[in-house]
Amino acid sequence: MAGRLARRAGLAALAAALLLAPVLGLSSYHRALALAILADVTLAVGWAMFSGPSRYLSLATGAFFGLGAYASALTIARAAWPLPVLAGAAMAAGLALVVGLLALRLRGPYFAVFTFGLAELVKHALIWYETSVTGTVGRLILAPPGPVALYYTVLGVAGAAVGTAAALRRSRWGLALIGIGADEERAETLGIDTVRIKIGVFALSAAFLGAVGAAMAPRWTYLDPQVLSPVVSFQTVIMALVGGAATLWGPVLGAVFLGLAGEILLVKFRYLYLVGLGLSLMVVVLLLPNGLAGLARRRG
Amino acid sequence: MTGTLLADIVIGGLTTGGVYALVALGLNLQYGLMRVLNVAHGEFLMLGAYGTFTLHTAWGMPPLLTLLITTPAAFAAGVALHRLLYAPVLASGEAGGLEARSLLLSFGLLFVLQNGALLLWSADLRGYSYLATPVRLFGTVFPANRMVAAAVALVLSVAFYVYLRRSLAGKAVRALMQEPDGARLIGIDVPRLHARCFGAGVAMSAATGSLVSMLFELTPFMGLPYTVTALVVVILGGLGNVLGSLVGALLLGLVETAAVYVAASDIRVIASYAVLSLILILRPAGLFGR
Amino acid sequence: MTMRRRDFLTTAAAGAATVPMWTGRARAQAKAVRIGYSLSATGPYAVGAGITQAPNYALWQEQVNAKGGLTIKGESAKRPVEFLAIDDRSEIETAVRFYEKLAADDKVDLMLPPWGSAMNFAIAPVASKHGYPLIGPTAISAKFKELAIPYFYTLLVQPEPQMKAFGAYLKDLKAQGKAGKVAVAYVNDLFGIELNAATGPALKEAGLEVVDTKSYPLGVKDLSPILKGFKAAGADTFIGLTYPPDNILVTTQAKEVDWNPPVFITAVGTAFPFYRDRFKGAEGVTGIAGWNPKVKHPGAREYYDAHVKKHQKEPDRWASAFAYASLQILERCVADVGLDRPKIKATLDATEFQTVAGPIKFVKGENVATPGMVGQWQKGEFELVWPRSAATGSPVVPKPAWA
Repeated sequence: MAGRLARRAGLAALAAALLLAPVLGLSSYHRALALAILADVTLAVGWAMFSGPSRYLSLATGAFFGLGAYASALTIARAAWPLPVLAGAAMAAGLALVVGLLALRLRGPYFAVFTFGLAELVKHALIWYETSVTGTVGRLILAPPGPVALYYTVLGVAGAAVGTAAALRRSRWGLALIGIGADEERAETLGIDTVRIKIGVFALSAAFLGAVGAAMAPRWTYLDPQVLSPVVSFQTVIMALVGGAATLWGPVLGAVFLGLAGEILLVKFRYLYLVGLGLSLMVVVLLLPNGLAGLARRRG
Repeated sequence: MTGTLLADIVIGGLTTGGVYALVALGLNLQYGLMRVLNVAHGEFLMLGAYGTFTLHTAWGMPPLLTLLITTPAAFAAGVALHRLLYAPVLASGEAGGLEARSLLLSFGLLFVLQNGALLLWSADLRGYSYLATPVRLFGTVFPANRMVAAAVALVLSVAFYVYLRRSLAGKAVRALMQEPDGARLIGIDVPRLHARCFGAGVAMSAATGSLVSMLFELTPFMGLPYTVTALVVVILGGLGNVLGSLVGALLLGLVETAAVYVAASDIRVIASYAVLSLILILRPAGLFGR
Repeated sequence: MTMRRRDFLTTAAAGAATVPMWTGRARAQAKAVRIGYSLSATGPYAVGAGITQAPNYALWQEQVNAKGGLTIKGESAKRPVEFLAIDDRSEIETAVRFYEKLAADDKVDLMLPPWGSAMNFAIAPVASKHGYPLIGPTAISAKFKELAIPYFYTLLVQPEPQMKAFGAYLKDLKAQGKAGKVAVAYVNDLFGIELNAATGPALKEAGLEVVDTKSYPLGVKDLSPILKGFKAAGADTFIGLTYPPDNILVTTQAKEVDWNPPVFITAVGTAFPFYRDRFKGAEGVTGIAGWNPKVKHPGAREYYDAHVKKHQKEPDRWASAFAYASLQILERCVADVGLDRPKIKATLDATEFQTVAGPIKFVKGENVATPGMVGQWQKGEFELVWPRSAATGSPVVPKPAWA
């Protein structure tokens, strides 16, 4: 009982700190770092929302994130902020619905590989469309919203992602999804509409991935189709798995830990950073089968 | 369609597909057997390429001859890596978390190999010209080096396929692919076979890299596109099915080449994805998958 | 076991958290001038950054510090130059954050730009917001004018004037009966597309016929279909709006499809010494040029020698000299008006600078003093063959056979 109260208090304090951070005199750099980590949290939580319980390892994150960012660049001149974020979410969810209809008929590795190429496919399709129809490629964001507005946008999206993930876990759809992950055939025989649930949660997850892409886009001024990258898919999976994809807070932990560690190491070890990351990943896999969340659980 | 265009597409497609076949075969062996999604597969190709590059430019060894060094070295490295990294993961853990964990492991390996190569060879583009001469066939022209690379890749792939069908070891591998538990029951030394198959997969990837180094510039980041192609081919042909990978690779090569000649270079990726999607709609387990 | 692991993690975390404190401690002697930047050492931008910017930044710092440091107006003693730099891993977000850190946290004195247009698009607004002038030697795009960032300056000739120069060059060749039918291949990213958009009008103005235009994606593995088509169409001039590695691929494959047009132009990467070495001299291949060691600008030869001595490799024949020039310009501004950044900006706007790359004059953030130039590999040197006023050699047309 006391533990739950302490946890709630801790969460409230954290939320307050995040909300007040820009006002508390945090330097613009630390605010930018917090923003980046919040974006990572959204990616990891958004991804784990679907792939965690369903065991469908999606590598489409890069496609959804990039499409959201591009959608933001396309709409930002014509729509007031934060409408472009909604546009990003909508476009990503739309892509997920279309892709999901085909992809979610595939099992395990087939699904993973199919989604892996999605970022490249959408990128090339976008380039082809742009060069053939509009004659240009990439979009400039001439009047981005201010950094504080961006911070609160990303904070909002991250909060919504965590809240939705928490609610999903307790809802009927969430439980059904876990059932699908455990044994899909059995779930079907039990009368669960697996297709609807899978596609629905896949699209929901994609909406958050697209939203955070849209929210981050103004930071980069120029958006090129190259923003659709499989690297983002990798990084997201790594964050979620390192933290522990089966829990709610695992992906959050993974994102925060890797984000902070990465930033510190980046300045210190210019060339060894990625080698170090690679080695740490291997160590984590060999020593922590359930990720950081598993470690925390074992202690407590 | 003119005769020369047809020749361009067919020979070009088989040339592209031949290279795809070898790299895909290696991945298929690893995934089909161990459910290890080795996203670092292309990095071994990159290392094979750098190996041949170094041997050729520093010591003047003909690139095809360097295969005799890079391939066995890669095999040994693969066996060692399997014993060190993948075997512990395979031994512990539940089946569900296995794919995720082996994926993470492969990511780690990818970072280490890519950035190790970066430290060793720097990001500068490196390459060499070898057999970059035109060969006239059927009224059109083809580069000698691409045809040689594809021919060697196809020979190695087919040879491996025959080995799987005919030899005792090959039968053991196929047994393991189809029925992992049954294979154990009849006395096959599974861990040892896993290690050697993983090693063989790495060797095939490195061999492809050695061949490809004759054709393209080398960078430490050249591996990932090949990993993607290998994954597509493996899924296209059906996981664990060696013949499927061969057929799938050639099919993919032909479709891509046709698309580039008939439409535009831009749609190569779109065309290959379209083929993949079409096949998976009709046969969700790949061309020859179960 | 669990206890020990937990202690290790806690200690490691605590240790890591103190790292920023160690790096922040200032040195006791003459307070250094702190200059911050990020360059890509990994990822796709690493190739260009490693050839064009990184060696020049390092060379300049070494030379300045060997003299005792930067001369600063209003200060009696020279101060050494200290770099605060990271590898941005070709990741835009990483670079953006680092430049914010440099401005808001480290409060560096000056900044240098990263490599490439995409990176510069992203960090120029950040630097400008904090009032740091940036002189970009690897930023080419018409969109920079659109952005109109007050503290950002581009050095290289932009797409439109560059392609106009090619147009004039080809018009001259056409008048001699040496060229006429052009085929264009371009990479379908911003750079290729902008160059292509400028090529059409430039060629039309020059009275040249475009027989075919084809685009291709980044990472292309086979350009022979395009080249075979160009050959069949009877083109005598090839313009490849390419950069490495596709400029290398297209050169290799032109030989493989047995096509040797009298004029063979590959835009970017041609001016790099490794291109020349890769193709056994690349005799007769033409590309975008900006500089070679023979130009008459002050210090050009000395710069070449110093670069080779320090790095055991030559500077490239295009943007390298401009990267070095950007540092010369900065040095001159600091000597003239000190480290006051608005004053530096005023100086940048008002002065014509003499550098190893020639005169540089900024109008609304764009260098207007450098003409678009065309270069051609001849006997191991990338001779400037156009415009005649800046030429170090005459064009060799038709191009000799492939080596």
